[in-house]
Amino acid sequence: MTLIAIEAASRPHSRSFMRRFAGAPLPWIMPVIIVIGIFYLYPVIDVFRLSFTNATLIGDNQDYTLASIANMLSSPQLPDILWATFVFVGGSVIGQQILGLAVAVVVVRGEKRGLFGTTILRTTALIAWVVPGIAGGIIWQMLFSEAPYGALNSILRLMHLPTVAWLSDPAIAPWSALISNIWRGTAFSMVVMYAALKAIDSSLYEAAEVDGATGSQQFFFITIPQLRAAILVNMILITIMTLNTFDAIITLTGGGPGRATEVISLYVFNIVFRNYDLSGGSVLSVLMLIISLGLAVVYASFLPKEDER
Amino acid sequence: MSRRTGTRFGDFLSYLFMLAMFIFFAGPLTYLLSMALRDKREIYRGVARYIPHNPIVDNFITVLNNSYFPLYLWNGLKLAALSGFGVLIVAMPAAYAFSRFQFRGKGLSMMGLLLFQMISPLVIMVPLYRYMNRLGLLDTHFAVTMVYIALGVPLATWLLKSTVDGIPRSLDEAAMIDGCNRFSVFWRIVLPLSAPGIASVFIITVIAGWSQFLVPFLLLTQNNLMPIGVGIFNFRGMQTDSSIQLLAAACLISVVPAIVAFLSLQRLILGSMTSGSVKG
Repeated sequence: MTLIAIEAASRPHSRSFMRRFAGAPLPWIMPVIIVIGIFYLYPVIDVFRLSFTNATLIGDNQDYTLASIANMLSSPQLPDILWATFVFVGGSVIGQQILGLAVAVVVVRGEKRGLFGTTILRTTALIAWVVPGIAGGIIWQMLFSEAPYGALNSILRLMHLPTVAWLSDPAIAPWSALISNIWRGTAFSMVVMYAALKAIDSSLYEAAEVDGATGSQQFFFITIPQLRAAILVNMILITIMTLNTFDAIITLTGGGPGRATEVISLYVFNIVFRNYDLSGGSVLSVLMLIISLGLAVVYASFLPKEDER
Repeated sequence: MSRRTGTRFGDFLSYLFMLAMFIFFAGPLTYLLSMALRDKREIYRGVARYIPHNPIVDNFITVLNNSYFPLYLWNGLKLAALSGFGVLIVAMPAAYAFSRFQFRGKGLSMMGLLLFQMISPLVIMVPLYRYMNRLGLLDTHFAVTMVYIALGVPLATWLLKSTVDGIPRSLDEAAMIDGCNRFSVFWRIVLPLSAPGIASVFIITVIAGWSQFLVPFLLLTQNNLMPIGVGIFNFRGMQTDSSIQLLAAACLISVVPAIVAFLSLQRLILGSMTSGSVKG
């Protein structure tokens, strides 16, 4: 009897509390806010703060100074690092975008014509994509290796061609790193392009067909303009993913030979965790943030506006 | 007539391109398999022994008998699976709110989430390493899992939101009329109907966690806590040119679980990714 009474008395109260609590968006979003706040926002603010100090990874004492910013930005290595990063990121974006689009176009065409092997190709490309970065680096090192088991050089030897110093020639190593990254990243572009191709209204092609447009005209005047938004979004994502790539390079070349493949993310890692220079690493981290934000803003400014579509 | 030969020629070019791409994408992985199956002598034959004359599985046995390797695999699985669950617990309620509530700054906070996705894990690892050190959380799987969760949440929230968007609102409303509150609508209607999206986000997070290198490499120092990514990296450091077949076998062991997980749920994962990207 009493139990029921208590329940009856407490129910309206708890119910209205629940309703008020659950009807507002904030409690639902709270977990995300907390996680992002602790693990993204706070560290990023701290990186900005640390770049204005002379902090090291080991010592606790730090003073506020602009010296590490000045040191880092005037470091003679920085231009080389930025150039290596530019080649790696720029080449990856161009290569993955073009190859991803080409594979997607051929897969869509193949599906339409019922060609054999389209699903196999799509699946194989996607498999390369889920290979962990570390494993990808090891696999490509075996392919590029100049030891007897190196795949590419042993093909060249079979064909009696001169071998290539894929990873030890500073002029060639960046291209080798690029190829391995294109291998790993193309599938992502392919998925984005594939989805965008499927979303194009087929009546556009039918109308062009009636007007007598050739295949290449259809591609350049219908397909490419229709894909514009998807291409730009894809470029933003690949740029950022490549800029942050680090594990595949550390196993493939370790940044060498010399500094030929030392991209900025690897440089940050070495500065902080090998030289214990926390403030210098923070300066470079901020630089990385600025580069990726800047590129995102540039790409985004080319995006069609919502009302234009 | 010319149109037909044109189509035929197009088919021929398509096949040629598909073959070239197939070799490019599958070649490296089949070579890895070839290396992993060779004995010491055949290693030096390079591509001439693409299909080994004496295929052996000894390399896999040696690797798995390595005292640490099974531990690496277990740690990798544990961290990846825990982060998969964690990401769902954090992201799913937010995805529901972003889909069903109208509030000020919604679009902005959705964009903000994507912005965080752009930040390199390396940037946040620098300060996080210090905090974890101060809190005495270095060398704990708890710290590693929490960072994995944080890294996965932005994308997961976006993908889950597009899943919830796909569930008709009329179902929510009908349930509310029948006396459900928001929690029971979420629990009894939205959650079960989101199952495909939830499964794909879980798998995406688990594969990302399995591939992680940076976070465990920095936050863990004890060998018995290392997940597979770092384990392979350390294992590689111990190998020489004459034991490359062991490294190949180890590498293959680390790659196969991700591939199997992905292949078995390929349709689901691609479905959730493409529906999200088309809607923007």
